[in-house]
Amino acid sequence: MKKLIIVIAFTFILSGCAEQKILENISLTTLVGYELEDGGELTSTAVIRQINQDLESRVEIQSASAITSKWARTKIDLKTSKITGSGQLRVVLFGEKLAKEGLDHNLHILKMNAEVSNAIYLAIVEGDIKELLEYKYKNITDIGQHIYQLIKQNIEHHHALSSTLHEVNRDKYSLVKSYALPVIKKEGENIIITGMALFKDSKIVGQITADDTMYIMMIRERTHNGTLQLELPDSALDGLADKPFDQLAIALDTIDSKPILKLVDPSVPEFDLTIKLECRLREINADIIVDTPEKIKKVEEEINQKIESELTRIIKYSQEVNSDIFNFGERFRARVRNVIVDKEKWYELYPQMKVNIKVESQIVRDGVFQ
Amino acid sequence: MFFGKKKKNDSRKKQTEPLPPSSQKKEMPEQASDKTQKSETISETTKTFIQDMSERVLSPADLVVRNVSEKITIMFVDNLIKEDILNLKLLPALQNIMDESPETIISQLPLPQINETSKMSECVDVMLTGAVVIHVEGHDCAILVIIPARESRGLTSPENESQVIGSQVGFNESLSTNISLVRRYIANPNLGNEKFKVGKQTNTALSVMYIKGIVAEQNVNTIRQRIEALDIQDIIDSTELSELLDDNKLSFFPQMLTTERPDRFCDGLLNGKVGILVDGSSMAILCPYSFIEFFQSREDKNLRWPIATFLRLLRFVAILISIFLTPLYVGALTFHYEVIPQSLLVPLSESRARVPFPPILEALFLELIMELLREAGARLPTKIGQTIGIVGGIVLGTAAVQAGITSNILIIIVALCALSSFITPSYMMGNVIRIVRFPIIIMAGFWGFYGIMLAFCILLIHLLRLTSLGAPYLSPFYPPRIRSWGDSIIRFPYRLTVRKSATTRVDGAEFSSNQDGQKNDGNVKE
Amino acid sequence: MKNKLQIGTNEMFNAHLLFFIICASQVGVGVHGFQAVIYQYAKHDAWISIIISFLVAYLSVFMSLKLLELYESDDIFGINLDLFGKYIGNFINLILVMYSGLAFFAIIRNYTDVINAWVFPDLKPSFIMITLMILVLYAFTAGLRTIIGICFFSFLLGLWIPIALIIPLNYANVNFLLPVLSADLVGLLKGAYYMTFTVAGFEVIHTLYPFIKEKEKAKKYVSLGLFFTMFLYLFVMIVTLTFFSGEQLERTIWATLSLFSNIRLPFLERVELITVCFWMIIILPNLCLYAWSAFRGMKRMANISEMKFILGMFLIIFIGSFFIETRSEIYDFNNKFGYIAFVIVLFYPMVLYLIALIKKSVSKRRAGKE
Repeated sequence: MKKLIIVIAFTFILSGCAEQKILENISLTTLVGYELEDGGELTSTAVIRQINQDLESRVEIQSASAITSKWARTKIDLKTSKITGSGQLRVVLFGEKLAKEGLDHNLHILKMNAEVSNAIYLAIVEGDIKELLEYKYKNITDIGQHIYQLIKQNIEHHHALSSTLHEVNRDKYSLVKSYALPVIKKEGENIIITGMALFKDSKIVGQITADDTMYIMMIRERTHNGTLQLELPDSALDGLADKPFDQLAIALDTIDSKPILKLVDPSVPEFDLTIKLECRLREINADIIVDTPEKIKKVEEEINQKIESELTRIIKYSQEVNSDIFNFGERFRARVRNVIVDKEKWYELYPQMKVNIKVESQIVRDGVFQ
Repeated sequence: MFFGKKKKNDSRKKQTEPLPPSSQKKEMPEQASDKTQKSETISETTKTFIQDMSERVLSPADLVVRNVSEKITIMFVDNLIKEDILNLKLLPALQNIMDESPETIISQLPLPQINETSKMSECVDVMLTGAVVIHVEGHDCAILVIIPARESRGLTSPENESQVIGSQVGFNESLSTNISLVRRYIANPNLGNEKFKVGKQTNTALSVMYIKGIVAEQNVNTIRQRIEALDIQDIIDSTELSELLDDNKLSFFPQMLTTERPDRFCDGLLNGKVGILVDGSSMAILCPYSFIEFFQSREDKNLRWPIATFLRLLRFVAILISIFLTPLYVGALTFHYEVIPQSLLVPLSESRARVPFPPILEALFLELIMELLREAGARLPTKIGQTIGIVGGIVLGTAAVQAGITSNILIIIVALCALSSFITPSYMMGNVIRIVRFPIIIMAGFWGFYGIMLAFCILLIHLLRLTSLGAPYLSPFYPPRIRSWGDSIIRFPYRLTVRKSATTRVDGAEFSSNQDGQKNDGNVKE
Repeated sequence: MKNKLQIGTNEMFNAHLLFFIICASQVGVGVHGFQAVIYQYAKHDAWISIIISFLVAYLSVFMSLKLLELYESDDIFGINLDLFGKYIGNFINLILVMYSGLAFFAIIRNYTDVINAWVFPDLKPSFIMITLMILVLYAFTAGLRTIIGICFFSFLLGLWIPIALIIPLNYANVNFLLPVLSADLVGLLKGAYYMTFTVAGFEVIHTLYPFIKEKEKAKKYVSLGLFFTMFLYLFVMIVTLTFFSGEQLERTIWATLSLFSNIRLPFLERVELITVCFWMIIILPNLCLYAWSAFRGMKRMANISEMKFILGMFLIIFIGSFFIETRSEIYDFNNKFGYIAFVIVLFYPMVLYLIALIKKSVSKRRAGKE
């Protein structure tokens, strides 16, 4: 009796063999770019890392068009000697046309796929994806890795908003249904991040430059170790210099900022936003000597004013395109009770929103030489 | 091991049978070897006596018979007795004795161990362990003068267990030397020492030692019962004995510690363990031992506690690495390439690209080579041993990589695993760690991380099932005794640790061993 | 009291092990995806539903313990026989045995589904079930001591999971939790009801009670165990609520596992793969305890050997698995099982306790009269 059970059990066990995905038999896709073609088809361009026996790993670009991305991938498989695996996918790029059509569908299928990690970066490409990826750059050997590191280190240093699949998905399904993705572009031998693209309802509606990203982050969340360059008006800091000067630009870094948001009037809605920031004065014109507390205070006041005006400008722009990337919608909903706030309502309310911004900056240090 | 419940009961049942009285036991060898019924009585005539004795030992060439005087005859086996005592003390004393009768001889001989017997079998047995049999004409008894030659290897440092700090003496093959070493460490009147003889053909002497008052009486009783119930032909080494006395004989894991070091042996005795010394074997046995105690070395107590804690933790981590690193490699490369971090991906795949086998075959192949090297290295004479080690290690490894049979990352992993398995202070346990890795690699090769998890669970359940002399194998972790955790995988300063090990707690034991072999589960008795 | 159990002291276990037993038996497969289900009804006040559910559970456990104390040293099967007589008592015992078997099936089926969804899509479910059953067989034949040992180690080894879940707090957005108590009471209660599947597990104490050595300490350790599990679930829920936005959470089937998908360690990429495989040791105590409870119940009714019983149970469960194959069928089954669990785990002990109290007072009065 016992032996019979063992025999049956073993037959069942042996029938359970999992599909092997041996590492060197898979061509690893590190980056995929999607672009919409004229016929409604999706072109997938995959950056595949090929491992060869001669210890020379090459990077191959393959692309195929089909209506669904899975079929496009199958078409790519028809061209490669090893099956593609998306387990090591790091970046997904979307073309401009696709962005204008709507990213909903593509984001959804990325999420459905259990193999794709939640921490992949998403970005928009200005220009042609195929051209960006297939060009033989002089200094870049692995374009997939390069773009991944490019986006990653910029996000870490607050030059771009973090756009992992999870965060984009989260914002997509939240009240505001708006998110921002970095935009990359090919310029000569380099790939640069030009700025952030603003989305509403999964469609691209606006664009801001990379310089403004820091301001968005300051409004959204606490920042740490950020940098800013401010161009102050000529009249500012007159009293501090010995001789007049044409333009005045200062640079701040090691910025620690904290936004404090108060809902003043729910009907409008109107917010009071106070941003407290501590920073280090990195660069300032050599003619200005900032040595007394009064002078520092004057510089701080100028910084406050400048940042306030910049922030107002950016908020106004996002209101124009009706893309609430600052997450005011969620913060609004969190503070009102018994008011049904859903997406439609917020789309109406957002353009009317008023924000009274006050910046309180404090220069903690200013270098080793005055 | 698997459905071993029945077997466990069987071995325990043996203990409930009425124990054969010792006299019957001693008669058995004689009954087995003799074809005809021989009388036990010693004949009065010396000639008959000599004939009897010679027949019983099959007239070996080294049997010496000498007439000391008209009435006194001595018999002994050459090479088993101390020649100088025989020549310088015994023979002159016998020759100068006035009254030739057994009582006078016994009282006048200047030697410490003299017995009188009237049984033939006892004469034979004792003569074969190194005694001179004296027979006086006209008396039906024999005098046994026990002067065994204790020729043995001189005391050297232990071969298989070396320590940096600590005593460097190891047991040798002579039982009496070993007992004397133990007595030197523990000069305690409570040190119990019981002698047994096992093995029908070999009659090997063994000594069970324990410290009364510290040891749990039931452990001593269990050992006593089990030894007396042993029904084997021979025993050459004590490690055979440890397997025969185990609770779970089918398990991979040893439940008794074998050690060559007297300091470790005495440490065990002082912690309430029962020790067994076997004549002819330089390994002593200690029981009961729990799993974690196999990874503790005597040296831990010699060093200061932060170092000792670090070393113990290091050992623990090394064991984990040794068992699981290669399977993780195989699993990750065969099924779960997504787990590999980006920076490792390129070197890994580049090194794997040239290998024609799937990762599981590659790993098994390399592990096999490693085991071959190790076994071969153990058997080689010392002169060639070192060269082969270098040849095998370096040349084979590099050549294999260049030939494209393996990848260099796997060589590093396998070497690391092998190194980690040597870190176990106990040789037996070290072997187990090596072997346990193989099934896990196979599981990983077939079912990836799921397979590794399955193997881990089976291992855990198996360890939980094991008992060492009735005490749970995984104590002090389970059943949890937090006070004993200070001396498990870490070592706290002496003030904070409980001196006695957790396996030998006498009172308040949570799951005490059940002497009559009942299963530890609820029985509904209505 | 007739049919009392006689259990020797060397088969009993210490009361402090109850803490580990309760924790290990409660945390099972429910914790993978309970968030989305509760969120549907209680919205972002789902954490309050958890507290409500645990309060009810604690009440039920309290009454169970008092009931078991009344009978001094008997398990629930004996109590049933005592209160309801032979025929109805045995009938109820049979239902309890079937409940244990059903719970076993629920856990093993759900776990198989999770493995298929996240790790090995093509591995046959029957294989996974057979291997898990072999594991349970091996543990079950070793006796109660081994099963409790598994509970203990499962608890210890699983402690890294809540610690790892601190990492997603980086992305936490507290606004998702506010405003508090905006859901209505019905929603909260419904959420608490759907929590039953996750909370159930502590009913094994009904069969374990006679084996506890210090019965007066049982209450303390059981309460500790329940509190610990409650805080664990609260922690997981709060991390989930702040991590996912509302609608995103509703669409995420296995929220806890998706949380792990965002953890990136320097030497490991996809932590959720490892977590899912690791979960085996977390469900192993649940499976063993249910199998053991079912066996104890069966033994009261018919003297059957261990091996025969467990193999019979496995066979029935294995055949049953062919009827529930798709994801939607599993979802339906979970809901139905939740209902049964609600009745048997939370409701039934309270009823039983009241009946026992009545019976005792009646018999006391009768004894007083005589």
